[in-house]
Amino acid sequence: MPDKIRIAVTVNGTAHDVLVEPRTLLLDFLRDQLALTGAHAGCEQGACGACTVLVDGEPTRACLMFAAQLDGAEVTTVESLAGPDGTLHPVQRAFTENHGLQCGFCTPGMLLAACALLEHNPHPEPSDVREALSGNLCRCTGYQNIVRSVVAAGAEV
Amino acid sequence: MKPAPFAYLAPRSVDEALAHLAEHGSEARPLAGGQSLVRLMNTRLATPSVLIDINRIGELAAISRENGAVRIGAVARQRACETSPDVRDGVPVFAEAVRQVAHPSVRRRGTAVGSVAFADPSAELPAALLAADGEVVARSSRGERTIAADDFFTGPFTSALAPDELAVALRIPVTAAERTGSAFVEESRRHGELPMCGVAAVVTLDGDGAVAQARIALCGVHRRPIRARDAEAALQSEHPDDELLQAAGALAASAADPVGDCHGSAAFRRHLAAVLTRRALATAISRAEERNA
Amino acid sequence: MSYKYVGKPTPRKEDPKLLTGRAGYIGDVVVPGMLHAAVLRSPHAHARIRSIDASAARALPGVVCVLTGAEALEHIGPMAAFCAEPVPQTAIATEKVRYPGEAVAVVAATDRYIAEDARALIEVDYEVLEPVVDPIAAMGPDAARVHDTLDSNVVFHRSLDFGDVEGDFARSATVVRRSGRWHRMCATPLETAGALASWDPYTGAMTVWSNSNFYNFLPWVFAGILGVPTNRLRLIPCTVGGSFGSKHLIMQVVAIAGALAKATGRPVRYLEDRFDNIAANDNTGPDRHYDAELAFSPEGEMLSLTLKIIDDYGAYFQFAHGQHGNAMAQPTGPYRIGSLRYDVACVLTNKVQQGFFRGAGADPGNFILERLVDAAAEELGIDGAELRRRNFIQPDEFPYKIPTGNVYDSGNYAAVLDRALEIADLKHWKAEQERLRAEGRYLGIGLASCQERTGYNASEWWFLYDNPPLPATSTPESVKLQVDAMGGVLVELGCPLWGNSPETVVSQVIAEEFGIDPAGVAVTYADSTTGAMSAGPGGSRLTIMLSGAARGAARTIRDKMTRIAAHAMEMSPDDVECVDGTFRAKGAPGTSMTMGEVAMRAHLFAHDNPAGESSGLVDTHTYDHPYATPPNADRTDMGAFYPMVSHACHIPIVEVDPETGRVTLLKYYAVNDCGTIMNPPLVEGQIMGGIVQGIGAALMEQYDYRDDGTLGTPSLREYLIPTLNEVPDIVVEHVQTPSPFTEYGVKGAGEGGRLVAPTAIASAVSDALRPLGVFIDELPMTPERIVTAVQAAR
Repeated sequence: MPDKIRIAVTVNGTAHDVLVEPRTLLLDFLRDQLALTGAHAGCEQGACGACTVLVDGEPTRACLMFAAQLDGAEVTTVESLAGPDGTLHPVQRAFTENHGLQCGFCTPGMLLAACALLEHNPHPEPSDVREALSGNLCRCTGYQNIVRSVVAAGAEV
Repeated sequence: MKPAPFAYLAPRSVDEALAHLAEHGSEARPLAGGQSLVRLMNTRLATPSVLIDINRIGELAAISRENGAVRIGAVARQRACETSPDVRDGVPVFAEAVRQVAHPSVRRRGTAVGSVAFADPSAELPAALLAADGEVVARSSRGERTIAADDFFTGPFTSALAPDELAVALRIPVTAAERTGSAFVEESRRHGELPMCGVAAVVTLDGDGAVAQARIALCGVHRRPIRARDAEAALQSEHPDDELLQAAGALAASAADPVGDCHGSAAFRRHLAAVLTRRALATAISRAEERNA
Repeated sequence: MSYKYVGKPTPRKEDPKLLTGRAGYIGDVVVPGMLHAAVLRSPHAHARIRSIDASAARALPGVVCVLTGAEALEHIGPMAAFCAEPVPQTAIATEKVRYPGEAVAVVAATDRYIAEDARALIEVDYEVLEPVVDPIAAMGPDAARVHDTLDSNVVFHRSLDFGDVEGDFARSATVVRRSGRWHRMCATPLETAGALASWDPYTGAMTVWSNSNFYNFLPWVFAGILGVPTNRLRLIPCTVGGSFGSKHLIMQVVAIAGALAKATGRPVRYLEDRFDNIAANDNTGPDRHYDAELAFSPEGEMLSLTLKIIDDYGAYFQFAHGQHGNAMAQPTGPYRIGSLRYDVACVLTNKVQQGFFRGAGADPGNFILERLVDAAAEELGIDGAELRRRNFIQPDEFPYKIPTGNVYDSGNYAAVLDRALEIADLKHWKAEQERLRAEGRYLGIGLASCQERTGYNASEWWFLYDNPPLPATSTPESVKLQVDAMGGVLVELGCPLWGNSPETVVSQVIAEEFGIDPAGVAVTYADSTTGAMSAGPGGSRLTIMLSGAARGAARTIRDKMTRIAAHAMEMSPDDVECVDGTFRAKGAPGTSMTMGEVAMRAHLFAHDNPAGESSGLVDTHTYDHPYATPPNADRTDMGAFYPMVSHACHIPIVEVDPETGRVTLLKYYAVNDCGTIMNPPLVEGQIMGGIVQGIGAALMEQYDYRDDGTLGTPSLREYLIPTLNEVPDIVVEHVQTPSPFTEYGVKGAGEGGRLVAPTAIASAVSDALRPLGVFIDELPMTPERIVTAVQAAR
């Protein structure tokens, strides 16, 4: 059994100092060890984007990264967006107001990719949104409302 | 799907990485962006017992232009290559190819060197490197060498790198500015997928408008990326017209020996090779003509 | 009819948990001590299992149990089948594997990583057999047999004439003939199927969390497989990350979790990964070869339709020919076609089985019919829209009985067509088409007018049999409504959440009936021990059925509250109404009681209430199918089994590159009629989502089985579904012809987009390539197929 790796990682603002097995995927570390189940396994191949989280602010496929790589990193998941009193983040509010979700499985990945986009480009055009979210699959909505939601979130900010 | 067990090492310097490679050889694989390797590891098609994470080696992230060549370090992200003025202006065919790799989110982690070293016969960057006459800088604890692109790709997912060698950079000669145009054209089943066929073309015209030099490389149509040398030869010293470009396309297609799969049969890929070679050449030539002012 | 809440864009109640990572999918359910399962699958399409050596796997630290198919049968039974034919099936193969990816052994370990390590150590000795891949060849007498229990791989064949087909063809002036090919596709929800089973050996009780449907419809089927008494099984629903029909009855997944739970005595969770799901899900779509003929009178009237179908069902016949029963709801489309021949052969091959996928068999039915209509328009020299208009069932002909016996409740097909033509900016696109043709480019304008049957009755699963094993005729939906002593309203649903909006719909209905704010209605989900009969989502039924169930429950409670309030206010109940959540004298609003006041009285003040009123306010309302009639004995009339029929006209605009086969969608126009619209944005969401799945069907989705039987499309890199880059701007408009059979006149909308888009896009590509002599008759239109068609037409 290979040695565990010690990582000092901040997740949603909380610092963790833990040992992980080298092969534990970031996705499983978040879901199983930290009980942050918002990131989802859709393919474990990097094809669908349902596992998208932010690592040091960048949208990252958590199924293609090992938790062991995270020493010193900051991870942001969907659980950090809404306030503890239930107040939705502006991007979440935009999604519900524009019917940008149906089953919700792709939604956390979409939200985080959108947040990262809005960080660099606060008022994106639909084409900017399409580019930023092009690696995130959705099987329910047909995408149109997702694009509308992100554009609307930009307009609000 | 979950990967098989492995030991994880995160060296902080190239020498440290090379020492690990010297020790573990073919049991080890370097990890850069992981967008190809971890995918394979998750399905257990790759089961290295040691993973050497090179992402913390700062010097490997550099992109620079010096001595008439663009140098892209092993940890330079594809996204950085896309936006780098050195790459865009220095090796336009490579920049155009990078923009078509997967999706922006994948390009933020994936590396150019990693894609080249992974040597997927369908991938864009190996073909672009071939067309740009680039080379791979390989280091091991035994020393450093450069491997020309023409010699680098030896088969599907196999390269000329020795088990103890790390590809530390790509060196691509700066494409001539005058009278030279390039193009990267591909057809894939869906946006962001690997192409069924991709063509990288770099064409230089002489003062009369005839072809002084053409380099044409294709992906997706052989067990490795290939140069369409017969097509290149047919263009040499000729004034390009539709008929010539058609002929070049046909010659590129005959150099192809595709493996068919669910996305396209061998015959279809060969057909695309002809069509896309013609189109890539047409675009490259018209861009070359624009720079002929 | 104008409503206060029905028909409004009420905010979606399901959203907050989905937006915040609190959805509660099966993968989120954690039970202390639970184990994780992995499944070893056959690499061969057809093989005998000689032996399995799991000793190394069992010895691996962290591994608790390994079961072969034979060992699993000590704990669980075989799969239930809805077919009459002897096609036995087990969750894990026993002597033979019959499709690549069929389960061969299962592992339970302390985590999924170790379970997969163990799986890699299991050694299976296979005797590889000749794979049966081509369904046409499979029909031959010398073909290798997929099942030794059958005389032939043609597991079912029936040809039925409805009306005078021979006579209609005899008097026809033109017969348009086309063949059609619709390839195997699958639902590919982003969330795969999963189950977590926990068994108590002392009581023989089992609890199963899963993302399956039918836990309040056919729970006894699960109990039978799991070997658990029907009254000791508790099936708990989870939020479902998309289903599109594929999670109706996920028997294999539940059985595997259950077998391991019983074998280990510990809770076991089995989650399919994407490879499991693509290779082995219970519910792939139709895989059909059509030969079709449409007969016309001299005036261009459609007289008769014949469909000869060979359908490749894969290795098992679990849901029998359900996807044909479904197609028979609307095989003649929106047209006044007088007779129909439906000749279907279901063939078994070494592929993953068919089940139900959004459209459920009526999608290829729409495809072949609209291709025939497009072909007829060309052959007869009549404009496609005009030919359709001439043959539409007219608004005054409803309810309209089609040759198979199904009824269409209402519609105005010409109005939908006309509106679609209006909004599609055809002048602009036709000019573009001309302009681009001059440049050697190919733009196409498609048109399709199609039915979207909604609200199925169970008879569609069995009426093609003369002696069905289970001729069920109940397809109900139940809702439990409670008003607590403080007036708080709580609804418990019998159905799961699939990504549709059952919570929002029932809240709107209850809000409408009481005049209260839908946001104030709380909604929960029953499990199989607390829910009443509910077939759940599927067949575009849920809005119809929940409207009926919720309205029924609301009216029962409201009437009781009215009686109690009237008694309290010393009035006759006939003089009391409920308005805006208040019970008051009609026309004299001064005297009133709040919901809370009435409720408190109802709960705790029996002596002050009318004699005979029980204490409390709770009602479970089971709403049965509002309009279903049985098939007749000789099956010349299948009865009304899918009578709420929505309708749409789609006009896609495409550009096709004939050299590369690339299809680019430029714009998409759709006019949809689903009767009274319960909630406009939600309906539009379903339509757009369905259209994009239709884009997938039209251009890229297909199972690819190689000649050696292995699966060439095992992951999302090979089985391609659309990204947002393939989606053009989609314009959706509505026409509303209410249903006479349902509450509020609603019809369903869930499958509509996918029922129409594939054939509409085929029409567009065909139109683009018309100058090159290409006619599209196969889906998906991959780049290679298009280029091949262009080359062949030269």
